[in-house]
Amino acid sequence: MRTITRCLLAALTCGFALGAGAQCPSRPASGTVVQDALSVYSQNGVLNAGLDMGYSVDTYGYSHYCYKYQTPTGPVESPTLRLNPGDQLVLGVQDSIPTGSPSAMSGMDMSSLPGACGDGGNATLQSTNVHFHGLNVPPICHQDDVLTTLIQPGAPAFKYSIQIPTTEPPGLYWYHPHVHGFTEFQVNGGAAGALVVEGMEKYRPEVTGLTERVFVVRQQYLVPWVPGPYQLTLNYQVAASPGAPAPVIQMAPGEKQFWRVANATLQDFMPLQLWVNGVPQPLEVIALDGYPLAAPRYETTILVPPAGRAEFIVPAPATGASAQFVSLAYSTGPTGNQDFEQLLANIDLSSSKKQAAKSTVPPAPSAANGLKFSGLKEIAPTAQRNLYFSEEFGGTNGPIQFYITVDGQKQQVFSPTEKPVITTKVGAVEDWTIENRALETHAFHIHQIHFMMLEVNGQPVPNEDLRDTIEIPYWSGSGPYPSVKVRMDFRDPTIAGTFVFHCHILLHEDLGMMHKIQVLP
Amino acid sequence: MRMPVWPKAVSRLVSSSVALLWICFASGLAQGASQPHYLITNDDVPFVNTVTFYAVGANGLLSLKGDLQTVGAGIGGGFFNTNRVSLLNSTGNECVYASDAGSGDIVGVNVNTMEVGGSASGSSTDSGATNGIGLAMNGQYLYASFTGSNTIGTFQVQPGCALSFVNDIAVAGLQAGFIDGMAIHGNLLVATFGDGSIESFDISSGTPVSNGDEQNSTAYVKSQGAAYPNGVEITKDGRYAIFGDTSTSTMVEVSNLSTGKLNKTVVYSLGTAISSSNIMLSPDETLLYISNTQGDTITGAMFNKSTGKVSTGCVSGKLKGYSSRWSYLAGLALDTNAGTGGAIYVAEFGAPSSIAMLAVSSSSGKCTLQELPSSPMTDANSSGLLSIGTFPPRSF
Repeated sequence: MRTITRCLLAALTCGFALGAGAQCPSRPASGTVVQDALSVYSQNGVLNAGLDMGYSVDTYGYSHYCYKYQTPTGPVESPTLRLNPGDQLVLGVQDSIPTGSPSAMSGMDMSSLPGACGDGGNATLQSTNVHFHGLNVPPICHQDDVLTTLIQPGAPAFKYSIQIPTTEPPGLYWYHPHVHGFTEFQVNGGAAGALVVEGMEKYRPEVTGLTERVFVVRQQYLVPWVPGPYQLTLNYQVAASPGAPAPVIQMAPGEKQFWRVANATLQDFMPLQLWVNGVPQPLEVIALDGYPLAAPRYETTILVPPAGRAEFIVPAPATGASAQFVSLAYSTGPTGNQDFEQLLANIDLSSSKKQAAKSTVPPAPSAANGLKFSGLKEIAPTAQRNLYFSEEFGGTNGPIQFYITVDGQKQQVFSPTEKPVITTKVGAVEDWTIENRALETHAFHIHQIHFMMLEVNGQPVPNEDLRDTIEIPYWSGSGPYPSVKVRMDFRDPTIAGTFVFHCHILLHEDLGMMHKIQVLP
Repeated sequence: MRMPVWPKAVSRLVSSSVALLWICFASGLAQGASQPHYLITNDDVPFVNTVTFYAVGANGLLSLKGDLQTVGAGIGGGFFNTNRVSLLNSTGNECVYASDAGSGDIVGVNVNTMEVGGSASGSSTDSGATNGIGLAMNGQYLYASFTGSNTIGTFQVQPGCALSFVNDIAVAGLQAGFIDGMAIHGNLLVATFGDGSIESFDISSGTPVSNGDEQNSTAYVKSQGAAYPNGVEITKDGRYAIFGDTSTSTMVEVSNLSTGKLNKTVVYSLGTAISSSNIMLSPDETLLYISNTQGDTITGAMFNKSTGKVSTGCVSGKLKGYSSRWSYLAGLALDTNAGTGGAIYVAEFGAPSSIAMLAVSSSSGKCTLQELPSSPMTDANSSGLLSIGTFPPRSF
């Protein structure tokens, strides 16, 4: 049934538009200066905003799904939400995707689920909800619940009300739809935006006073379910379109900028580099996945998996130099899709920074709090678990089964009605070893918490970073399975409830490479 | 990132091509000049499906002959092995049957005129919209595996490439899997399910009747579900059923059919090339061609038709189309109906789809497979090509 759904959905996205109305704002033309999204700030401890999910098809046939934010001068797309630790995010989300879809496009009736939240009804391509990727907040209705929350077209705005923890790590997060079975299509259409928890300068003073840029890299396939050509976009501007000029990032000679880059692609693993006269430059990495590093470090290549984020300081090249921001090619294995080298932007040093600058990181107003997950390294784990990714291919859209399995349990794809495959309790600290037994690289992600990197392929990692998404390279077909070992921190009582872990290659997630975990109070 | 792989030993390929040309020319003469010699694709195009005819040249190379719209719609993908093309070479009834998975019908096309002769649908509940409608036939009946409804429809062959629906039966794998591959020999139909199980049916009365031998394959059991039969072939004498497995390596299984039923399969692991969903025996049954669906290669395994044993043979280099067009490899077809089959054709699923062409040579238990310099041939109508066939078809 799911595959029927997917075929019909794909057919619709192939050019059978859902109809007029709910048009998305126009997106920037090729070769223009890259602009940051509009930032929306909290005021007096509250960020109150509304987003309206729209849909349209562009002249090239690409489907656009957009988070529209209304301004006095008209709607803009996917604003950057900016909050401080302790702030309240009050977000009204309306669904204005045109209806009229055939009933065969329906997924399961979410109304039947215990604790159904929102408008209920069938999950469809026209349904939506929001996941606040990386935030360490409760997995419950009106907060960061994706298992039961459904927002239907035409219904009154659904209200999210989320208290950002006072100990929330400062950094770059992002928001996107997360309706099981349909996430890929809306994210492919561009429905993704950045969320910044302010205060990085308190932990990493290196960024104080720097011009800040927020870049969201998205990916669009003409037909998402066919492993064909795709385009990456940088803040909605198509990057490296054949025959079209690349986006332009402006920098002033001699300045340093603080770049916050979110990988909001469906499945592109991005080894990021900055080239100056063809030579990769050292970049000062400040944070990964919205968590400040224990100490900055210099890297010439920053690998950002799908859904990952990297924040780093970029020194402007000298006047007259040729500079490019690129995502290198990345091998995802024998059965993986191909991630090609893409020029994301040319660096323009001839102009002043007046167009580029959107904001400047202020000096730290107060001392830093202790962050979530502090001291995790020293805590003895209460449990050890082993999980693994695996796949079966019998066809292009048939039983291409994508599994994530707790070792010893039966391989099965996710079902909204399933029982949690892992049950733990508040206070637990667990070490998970996650293997990849598939011939394709996967990206492990768990909701609600960050995890600490411990080992890769059985070897201790040099940097025990806190992450929420991590790549696990493909198995070559012989030898040991590639693996990562991470430490999961379930000590925070606010994350009690049921949530999910999954592969963040969105096709895999939609097809069931996901399961539930329940954290008992 | 995969980079296109281009042949380096061009001169060697040219030599092979010359040899192939001679072989194909000779076999073409043997087939007689009165019959057309085509490679035929089911383009599986959503909304308005097409069938494309390529003339097979005397050198085994392909040239576009023409295409026609079927009466229905494809779906642009599905099971790799579900054979969406079936060919009938009967005096006065030279037909290609192609399934329209989106609209649920089967169209018959006169190979000589390239015109639709008729079409038929199954019952109102028969559906292949999930993963395709597979076809297998003898001279009298055509059987359609509806992968969505998990049914096998029986259609009677009518003059002029028409069909009439007879009935359908419900089937299911032991783990409730959906029907996948089918092959016919005499009164026996062997089917695979996407859950590791296999089953044979008696079709002596037209409608399939289970032989009561449904079982999980040995590889499925041993691998705890990581490998399972997908494609199926039956030897010319009907003694063995050969299964190509979906797996993370090259793996086939053989079941002895001498009792008239499926017996426990014997597993043959043939190397690290990835998956073996689509298989095809050479006309002389010395080679088993295997499409390494995700592995961008074609494997030629040695087959002993007396013992049913399979052994390692040869593996092609990485096919060019796979590397440059995001393709999966799928259905196989052969140029000729003699010897090792002349050129080997491979459906390459991708945007656009294409047909790879390889030359094979075999002697003294060794073989080589090389892609031709002019390969692949773009199948411009399709971005979902999985099934191809050649006319005249192999006799078994």
